Amino acid sequence: MTTKALAALITAIGVLAGGLPAAAQGPIRIGASLSLTGTYAKLGNYQNEGYKLCAKQANEHGGLLGRKIEFVVYDDQSAPSTAVRLYEKLITEDKVDAVIGPYSSPVTEASANVTEKYKKVMVTPLAATTSIFKRPPDKKRYYLFMVISPAEAYLEGLVDMAAKRGLKTIAIVNEDTLFAKAAGDGAAELANKRGMQVVFREGYPKGNQDFSAILTKIRAANPEVLAASTYFDDAIAITRQMKELNVNPKMYGITVGGDLPEFYDLLKQNAEYITGATQWETTLPYPGNREFSDAYKKEFGREPVYHSAAGYAGCVIYLEAVKRAGTLDSDKVRDVLLKLEMKTAFGDFKVDQDGFQTAHKMVTTQWQDGKKVIVWPDELANGKLRFPTPPWNQR
Amino acid sequence: MNVVVTPAMLGQVVISGILSGALYAMVALGLALIFGVMRIINVAHGPLLMLGAYATYFLSTALGINPYLTVPVSMAMLFVVGVLLERTLVFRVVDAPELSSLLLTFGVSIALVNLAQLLFTSDLRSVEYLTGAWVVGPFALSKSRVVAFVFAGALTGLAFLFLGRTKLGKAIRATSQSREVAMVCGIDVQRIHLVTFGLAAALAAAGGALIAVIVAIQPEMGQIWTFKSFLVIVLGGAGNYPGALLGGILLGLIEQVASLFLTTQLSEVVAYVLLVAILLVRPTGLLGGRQT
Repeated sequence: MTTKALAALITAIGVLAGGLPAAAQGPIRIGASLSLTGTYAKLGNYQNEGYKLCAKQANEHGGLLGRKIEFVVYDDQSAPSTAVRLYEKLITEDKVDAVIGPYSSPVTEASANVTEKYKKVMVTPLAATTSIFKRPPDKKRYYLFMVISPAEAYLEGLVDMAAKRGLKTIAIVNEDTLFAKAAGDGAAELANKRGMQVVFREGYPKGNQDFSAILTKIRAANPEVLAASTYFDDAIAITRQMKELNVNPKMYGITVGGDLPEFYDLLKQNAEYITGATQWETTLPYPGNREFSDAYKKEFGREPVYHSAAGYAGCVIYLEAVKRAGTLDSDKVRDVLLKLEMKTAFGDFKVDQDGFQTAHKMVTTQWQDGKKVIVWPDELANGKLRFPTPPWNQR
Repeated sequence: MNVVVTPAMLGQVVISGILSGALYAMVALGLALIFGVMRIINVAHGPLLMLGAYATYFLSTALGINPYLTVPVSMAMLFVVGVLLERTLVFRVVDAPELSSLLLTFGVSIALVNLAQLLFTSDLRSVEYLTGAWVVGPFALSKSRVVAFVFAGALTGLAFLFLGRTKLGKAIRATSQSREVAMVCGIDVQRIHLVTFGLAAALAAAGGALIAVIVAIQPEMGQIWTFKSFLVIVLGGAGNYPGALLGGILLGLIEQVASLFLTTQLSEVVAYVLLVAILLVRPTGLLGGRQT
């Protein structure tokens, strides 16, 4: 029997058994470079698990366009230059059917040049820097799509809640690095829009631990709101020294770090009333969020973080777009993605003509009696903001 | 957009400056002692301070001891660590070119930080004991910093009493002035080196113990204190012990006042520009070089 006849026989059996012609076509291969080792390893692995869970679930539900899905993942060791090489390899040597984003803004910024060159649609779930998407017209990126909220949105909840309560003055401090500064700029712009006056604005160097002078100035400026665009160590130091210098605004909110359990462990009751910002929480009432968290815990034996959820959602969004387009063709999938409005376990997805995320909501949390309560936006909140903040010795 | 500086604000930062300055002085005194007696710049001074901070953290959280009572325990533990370091490693480079001692203590510093990361992890830890402030008129006095100031003042005073009044202290100063003459006078220089290194580590530990109550601690907290101490002894005069006092208070004030009038970023620039300027104009420091 010749090979050809054998193939025909197998196909015939397949058709008779009700199998799909897909089997003959082989799986759809989606390529990604991820930071599985190096500086971003911890977070890159969470994202990878999000991708894995998405592929597994899709395959359990019949795959995509009648074909199975298979991820081809390489490790870029958290280095943008390595990721560039890996995407080149994925597209030209491995000839993958599609690509999906790496971890972090710097790696996305570098890799996007490759995927654009080959006109490959790339949903990039963990790039939050606005400038990757908002570019001058001659350098516009056509095939890149954002999933998480931009840095500028981190303090939106704090400013909105303050404005609604009639507060008029705000002080903004930020670590003087790219992301933290963008979040500070975003807060200043939002505050101006809402008719609040920015009475103090200053950056401080990375690693700074002594905030006495900055806080002395803030105390003199006497703002009703203090917004601090921080990472973690600085958030702890600022909070402790606010108490030492008796700086007591009606509202005090930080960006990154305030949502971590460690924040409360270190500061105890001094963390009460402080707001933090996050992209996602397991408790948010998004469609399929609980199911996602449960499946994730079962699959990987640990709690998902927002990087897992964003990775999962990025993959779900891409698969949905391909399904609606009925093809893997980049231009057709792009057209669908530009119009797509979708709710995933990670929240809303909708992008503008630059692929820039406009619908996903950051949530603002507040520490209340040792628990992290979502207080903003109203439609996602599971508690009310405690306001105003009492003096330090009454917390 | 930024605020106008009022006398009350200036007063507040002067208070903050003096409070942290006393800590700088105490920690830097350790570095000055080692430099004076052994002619070694101990880059591992900051990491020793970090170990002192962890000693206090574990004693106060695991055993529930009042963190301020752990200060002497922490000092005693680090005295032993200092003595061991001197006896096993540092004594080998006392007479070697200065680069050797720099390299050796740099290596010790990296080893200590990495060891701490392995043993204690990089998680931030804090001793929540005395938070908050005493409000006096327009000024807020941080409780933990005031207590640290009192401790630093007392310990520095004791160190000076020890150096000035006791036989051992006098022997340390004699060795610092001239090792050869001290040897001729029958002073056991090896033993003096041992005690000096232990004492310096104990002073660093006291700093670490007090800092643990003020800020959250982590294994890399020490390095910045090596730099600050170095700055202090250059300001005051390397090897000049009262100079370390002056340099400490001065550094505290410069940092705070510069942050007030300029920004926090520029205050670091001001401190280090001053370092370069002093090295150029008055390399012996404000109070002059070695004298005891």
